[in-house]
Amino acid sequence: MVEVNMQLLDRIDDLKLGERVLQWKKAVKEAGWKLFAEREKWTVQSWRETEGLDIQLRRALLFKKVVENVEIRIQDYDRIAGRLTPAVIGCMTSIDVCGDYIPGIWQDSDKLRITMDADVGMDPESIEILRAGARLFRGKTAPEMTYKAWEAADGGWIRDAEAAKLKDPTLDTGIFGQVTSVLMWKKILEKGLKGFIREAREHIDAFVANRESDIDRLYFWKSSIIACEAVIDHARRYAAAAREMAEKETWPERRAELLEMAAACGHVPENPARTFHEALQSMAIVGVCKNYEHPMHNNPQWGRGDQYLYPYFIRDIDEGTITLEKASDLLAELIGRWGTQTFVSSESSMESHQINFGINNAMIGGVNAAGEDGSNELSYLFLHVVGLLQLSSPTLGLRWNGKTPSWIMNKAIRTNMATKGGIPLFENDEVVIEHFLKDGIPIEEAAEWCGLGCVYPCLPSRAEHYGAEGIAACNLAAMLHLVLHNGADVNDKQTGLQTGDPREFKSFEDLYGALMRQHRFITHRIFWLASIARREQPKHMRLPFLSTVGVPSCMELGQDLLIPDPESCMFGISDRAIIDVADSLMALKKLVFDEKKLTMGELLEAIDGNFEGREGERIRRLCLAQPKFGNDIDEVDLLAKRIGEDSERIIRSYDNSPFRNYMIAREGLAWHYFGGLGVGALPNGRKAFEPLNDGSISPMRGVDRAGPTAVLRSALKAGFRESHASVLNQKFSASILGSRESIDKLAAYTNAFMANGGSHIQYNMVDTNELRDAKIHPENHRDLIVRIGGFSAYFTQLSADIQDDVINRSEHNL
Amino acid sequence: MTGAGKKAAPPRAVITNIQGFSIHDGPGIRTVVFFKGCPLACRWCANPECLSPEPQIGFIETLCTDCGECSQICAEGAIRGGKGVHRIDYSRCTSCGDCVDGCGYGALVRYGESMTVPDVWDIVRRDKMFYDSSGGGVTVSGGEPLLRAGFVRELFELCRQERIDTCIETCGLAARDALVEVIPVTDHFLFDLKLIDPKLHKTYTGQSSGIILENAAFLMERGVDIVFRQPLVPAITDTVENMEATAAFLKGSGKKDVSLELMPYHRMGRGKYRALDMRYLMDGTEAAGNERAEAVKKAYIDLGVRCTISR
Repeated sequence: MVEVNMQLLDRIDDLKLGERVLQWKKAVKEAGWKLFAEREKWTVQSWRETEGLDIQLRRALLFKKVVENVEIRIQDYDRIAGRLTPAVIGCMTSIDVCGDYIPGIWQDSDKLRITMDADVGMDPESIEILRAGARLFRGKTAPEMTYKAWEAADGGWIRDAEAAKLKDPTLDTGIFGQVTSVLMWKKILEKGLKGFIREAREHIDAFVANRESDIDRLYFWKSSIIACEAVIDHARRYAAAAREMAEKETWPERRAELLEMAAACGHVPENPARTFHEALQSMAIVGVCKNYEHPMHNNPQWGRGDQYLYPYFIRDIDEGTITLEKASDLLAELIGRWGTQTFVSSESSMESHQINFGINNAMIGGVNAAGEDGSNELSYLFLHVVGLLQLSSPTLGLRWNGKTPSWIMNKAIRTNMATKGGIPLFENDEVVIEHFLKDGIPIEEAAEWCGLGCVYPCLPSRAEHYGAEGIAACNLAAMLHLVLHNGADVNDKQTGLQTGDPREFKSFEDLYGALMRQHRFITHRIFWLASIARREQPKHMRLPFLSTVGVPSCMELGQDLLIPDPESCMFGISDRAIIDVADSLMALKKLVFDEKKLTMGELLEAIDGNFEGREGERIRRLCLAQPKFGNDIDEVDLLAKRIGEDSERIIRSYDNSPFRNYMIAREGLAWHYFGGLGVGALPNGRKAFEPLNDGSISPMRGVDRAGPTAVLRSALKAGFRESHASVLNQKFSASILGSRESIDKLAAYTNAFMANGGSHIQYNMVDTNELRDAKIHPENHRDLIVRIGGFSAYFTQLSADIQDDVINRSEHNL
Repeated sequence: MTGAGKKAAPPRAVITNIQGFSIHDGPGIRTVVFFKGCPLACRWCANPECLSPEPQIGFIETLCTDCGECSQICAEGAIRGGKGVHRIDYSRCTSCGDCVDGCGYGALVRYGESMTVPDVWDIVRRDKMFYDSSGGGVTVSGGEPLLRAGFVRELFELCRQERIDTCIETCGLAARDALVEVIPVTDHFLFDLKLIDPKLHKTYTGQSSGIILENAAFLMERGVDIVFRQPLVPAITDTVENMEATAAFLKGSGKKDVSLELMPYHRMGRGKYRALDMRYLMDGTEAAGNERAEAVKKAYIDLGVRCTISR
């Protein structure tokens, strides 16, 4: 157990944001978003120069070309160097990775849509660079080549399945190539990149000495050296730039800062970090270079940052070599910068993810391999700084366990209120670790788990393939739609298995069995296609830098992480919309089979008519009146449990050899909106194409009338113990949760849920009136953060229907 | 109900609501059981549905779509039609609730359901994990729970067996026997002191303060854990006279550390008056704001009373 300095915690509570951070915040508010085509200029140039080389070396040289040439900038308020673009908020494209994925570049417009709600201005020269990139790379990138492979194997089925939202994501969301989790920060900080270079050299020497023949391994180690040296060079460019600025700087305080920056960039990330400041500087450079390699690679930057950085932090504080104020500001600077890093989304990504900034997870607290909780003063500072910054990113999570101290729980709840919602989320350490252990992962690795995007638990020591092969989720509600239409999807394509005319089903079990057959048919087919993607993608794409600093096995094997290694790869899937299906099946069971208030034909007719008309509305009201999950009603809660367990059996029964089986992780993002587009009206009373339930174990909107504790009891009853993540969102009004006493009560509430096996919970604390006003007057509420299904976003940036969705969720008045 | 030779029927009570995760009515996370029926009729009451001891049907106009379904269902012909007219003719309504079940829009609501102790127990026991983690428990409120002291006693005995904390929120107007009956099974009392002056008390609540003050003194004498609560109703309870009288009463008890919790008046109950076709008499009174609450709190502290504000 960490000996915590309570006085230090009190001092942290009093900290405010320093001058530099405030300057940065002001700049962020004032600055428009900018798109930089420059990266693509260098990718095109490099790709042309390296034709004829092995792909591993080509990608390493492309990376080198970009990081050695891309324009760098130190802003007036920067104390840590390393920004993705010269702008305050700037983004880059990933055409060399995803192909011709931005339709806007072919339109004659001086504006380009880059995310949900943001257009950027484009000059003709930049547009021309992007078009040149698209002409060069289109049709040849890994996602595009994978679609060709899929079509060769299985015709157009996958396109139909995607159109019917039976699965997500499509490959162009950039989740492709996201095979990894958190970088090996501990090793990077302790050994420096030169340690990685040394290892690669030793491997090459051994390769030659032993007269080995697998030349791909040699190419990998060479690509590692090229990449690491390029990153060191990138840092040195910052060192030179900072020195140059210092020479011209007349203000002594700023000059000292710049000289300090120059010294740090001359030392890290090449060498081991010696101080907290250098450790953050090292992470900043490595983090930004990771994004140059793949700008849509929006993986968690921090991981267990409070653990990796703690030795540096506490030593500097104890020895007095850094003030607490400075340490806090430096941390805030990097959290802020990474939290406002963005990229150009694809159309499907905008639709399915509803995000503007790269997902950027930090997971604090949690046990180590010996079972001791690691919450420390730096964990506390993370919470405090995030509370001060008021950003939607990072997604900050607290690993709750039976030993989580009350001082960190208390601070976590206070941070929740300071950010007006969602941050931090709580995940059950014990549940997650137990899952990994059950799957044969050693405790030393399992204890290091972090959040991937939002709540998906990943291991920094393994290559995480979740989403990487074009499948992150399957949509059980869309499968139910198939069953209710004998295999036809919302677009009237025969995407599903013909499970028979539902009017002929003799019993509820007939219906249930048909749904499970449909599930198997869809998921196993998608798994098969994913296995094809797994083989096809590495032919066209490599990530030498990420491989080197991301996953330990790559260096050992001499193998890029896009080439999957059965020993160290993890696979996962989120089987979504279980609650929608449970409520729907419950209504079908009651109305059609048990009480016979409706015939299947009548119900189907109402559904196909989207409950329109007087009779449709009457039937919808009947549907809505049936028992709903979230009210502590056994029969529906246990039906959800049954569906969850059967879904797991179907998924686990897929033979993924020689790789591990798929693990289940019911996370959500803002997927419920996207997923709903593939589902017609449902017997739970939901109308066609409306959003599904958010999260994965949250009740249907507005039906949880028995209060928040009943929701938790339902969630515990359904259990989802077969999944190593689930998402439960609850909303409380902040105006009521005002007193110190209620903070303790919410902490106790969380403790009770977790101690009884709850796996995840997060709280929105927002007044409905405030939300309504924010919808009408977004300009007054730009700081409003709302969390939906596992991540947070600025409320004003959500699409109108998601806004309504948040507003309509029954507010739990305490 | 009781026939000769037969065992007495189990006690029943009309309950309007059982509200989980309540954090303002006693220590920790609590479940509050609202009893229907109250001997007072305070002008500012936020729970008008708890005044009458009988089940009632309410009508929420904003949710009504004028579909007419309810008028077809009602066997008594107690549903009226027409826009802007309260749907229910209470002279005919028997509170059977058929219309509530038939309304698909939630525009008709049932206030009050006759329940047995096991019925209530089955609900309140479910949140035990939250009581345990927060030091919370069950609070009975209303309405006036002491009108059903036998019911409360049985319920609290079950709570005690399961080590669930118990709390009574009372207006104070109750038979002494009722108090005596519940004291052994009650961990905390939340006791309303509205107006000390008997005449004013009668004016605003319909009853004098006499018995209430006697009961308060009795409970303090018995040494129970008690917190007094005073609705902060602008110009009615926050007058200098009432504050001084309240302070004098509390200090006169000789009990140390007696504390007073101010309950700022709010208008959130208004909709329920409309739903029940009752007149709301407080339209001229604004909700008590934070500033006023702080000022009153300070005045009480100056008078030597430990005082907090409920939020």
